[in-house]
Amino acid sequence: MPREAEPSLNEKQFVTQALQENLRLDGREFDQYRPIELNFGDQHGVADVTLGKTRVLAKATAEVTVPYTDRPLDGIFTIATELSPMTSPSFEVNRPTETEVLLSRLLEKTVRRSGALDTESLCLVAGEKCWSVRVDVHVLAHDGNLMDAACLAVVAALRHFRKPDTSMAGGVLTVYTPAEREPVPLSWLHSPFCVTWSFFGEDEGEMAVLDATWLEEQVRVGSCTVSLNKHGEICQIAKLGGTPVDAVALLQCTSVALTKVKEFSDLVDRRLAEDLKRRDKGGFMAELRAENDR
Amino acid sequence: MTATTAPEAALGVLPRADGSAKYSHAGYTVTASVSGPIEAQRRDEHAYEAHVDVVVRPAAGVGGTRERHLESILQSTLAQIILIKNFPRSLIQIVLQVEDSPENDYVNTKLVQASLNFAIMPALIQTAVLALLSAGVPMRATLTATAVAMAHRDGAKKTIVDPTPRDIETAQSVHVFAFTSRDELLLAESEGDFTVEEWDDVCETAKKVCCHSAPAKEGMAMVLDDEDVGGPDMRQFLRSTMKSKVDADLHWK
Repeated sequence: MPREAEPSLNEKQFVTQALQENLRLDGREFDQYRPIELNFGDQHGVADVTLGKTRVLAKATAEVTVPYTDRPLDGIFTIATELSPMTSPSFEVNRPTETEVLLSRLLEKTVRRSGALDTESLCLVAGEKCWSVRVDVHVLAHDGNLMDAACLAVVAALRHFRKPDTSMAGGVLTVYTPAEREPVPLSWLHSPFCVTWSFFGEDEGEMAVLDATWLEEQVRVGSCTVSLNKHGEICQIAKLGGTPVDAVALLQCTSVALTKVKEFSDLVDRRLAEDLKRRDKGGFMAELRAENDR
Repeated sequence: MTATTAPEAALGVLPRADGSAKYSHAGYTVTASVSGPIEAQRRDEHAYEAHVDVVVRPAAGVGGTRERHLESILQSTLAQIILIKNFPRSLIQIVLQVEDSPENDYVNTKLVQASLNFAIMPALIQTAVLALLSAGVPMRATLTATAVAMAHRDGAKKTIVDPTPRDIETAQSVHVFAFTSRDELLLAESEGDFTVEEWDDVCETAKKVCCHSAPAKEGMAMVLDDEDVGGPDMRQFLRSTMKSKVDADLHWK
């Protein structure tokens, strides 16, 4: 496969020098994101995030399986990330690259290990039956800041997802098809989001930039991904290699990240509400509902 | 959810690929990217022709033997229409990402092991052709494809164009056909029980859907014919999609 072309020395210098003069190539502020678009598919659990030219599609699915023997009371929750040659011809099928490993690792830490999805609620019969929830992340176009876009897509897909309804009667487990009973949402505890800072310049974290494009990502000297929810609870901070960054600068970064996460959270809430309204046309579903308002 | 009856397509949806297309029809949504001609790996390199690499990626779960089977069918089909002899020792890579496929509300599907079915093939072929056109890869002809199911309903045989998953489940046989722009049959895949006469019938129906191209001025007659066939006019669709794309690209002239 052809290797990804690196930016030339001139290009690199141009980007860094522009940043030193407080300018970005696309005219954004340092702490400004590209326009974010979040769309849901016709099916439940499909989220399509567009961040500038970066585009990520996440799809959540569920099926009934046997739980792991060492965790009989927990359901299974996996996030699968595979970068296809669609992203760039330099990615090969079935051969994970460093980008892919880092992406799946960070998503795992942010969404799974922070307990965003209550895995105990996925258990159906202890040690015998449980739900296995799987999120597939498809990167359709990569123009930098894959991490934030992928995390937003995963969280949005899981919050939009509905799993089939089940019931237990006399030791018999029944899984209802969508035609029989309306599917139910997952038990979701909090929504963590990633905010990635890219650092430029020789000094310790001289310039910190949010939402770097692919060109900026190739030029940066270091990066730091902070994952937190809208209440300001930090799930993880990943600073993998690169030049050292001043502690005070890092604190500043996390506080800005919080305001960004609040914006993401609002965006997801708003889009979910809009989607619900779109599906609930005419209020016919409300009429069919068996629940009583208490 | 509701399946769209009229096909929809957008070209050049991915900024970094040489050519790309998004196509949705009958509940299936597929995005394709085409890169090529690019450098081929040593093992894929042919001395006299380009290697056509097709990758089918399911929306959920990992691809298995079904996807490999679809890939091999698509690969041999597309290699027939692309002028591969023009690009020796190179690679034309087509990645097809399934985004959405219609669900059967009456069964709970196993999803971790992806199971692409037969009826997705027309959507894959159509998307691949659109993406190839968008990438400007030289081709001998364009393709139009359709799926037709043959079912026994109330003692009578019935052909269903663009069957739903429910139709496929109850159908006697399912067929996929692809015709070139010169009305030649290029791909015929069948599944299920059928006789030679039935196959002829189904082939005729598919040919009407794929090859029937009414001149634009007889718009009224076309609409009437469409109702007759029970499917969209695929060739007209391909033409109008390309035309609108070219018009949009050349608006400055």
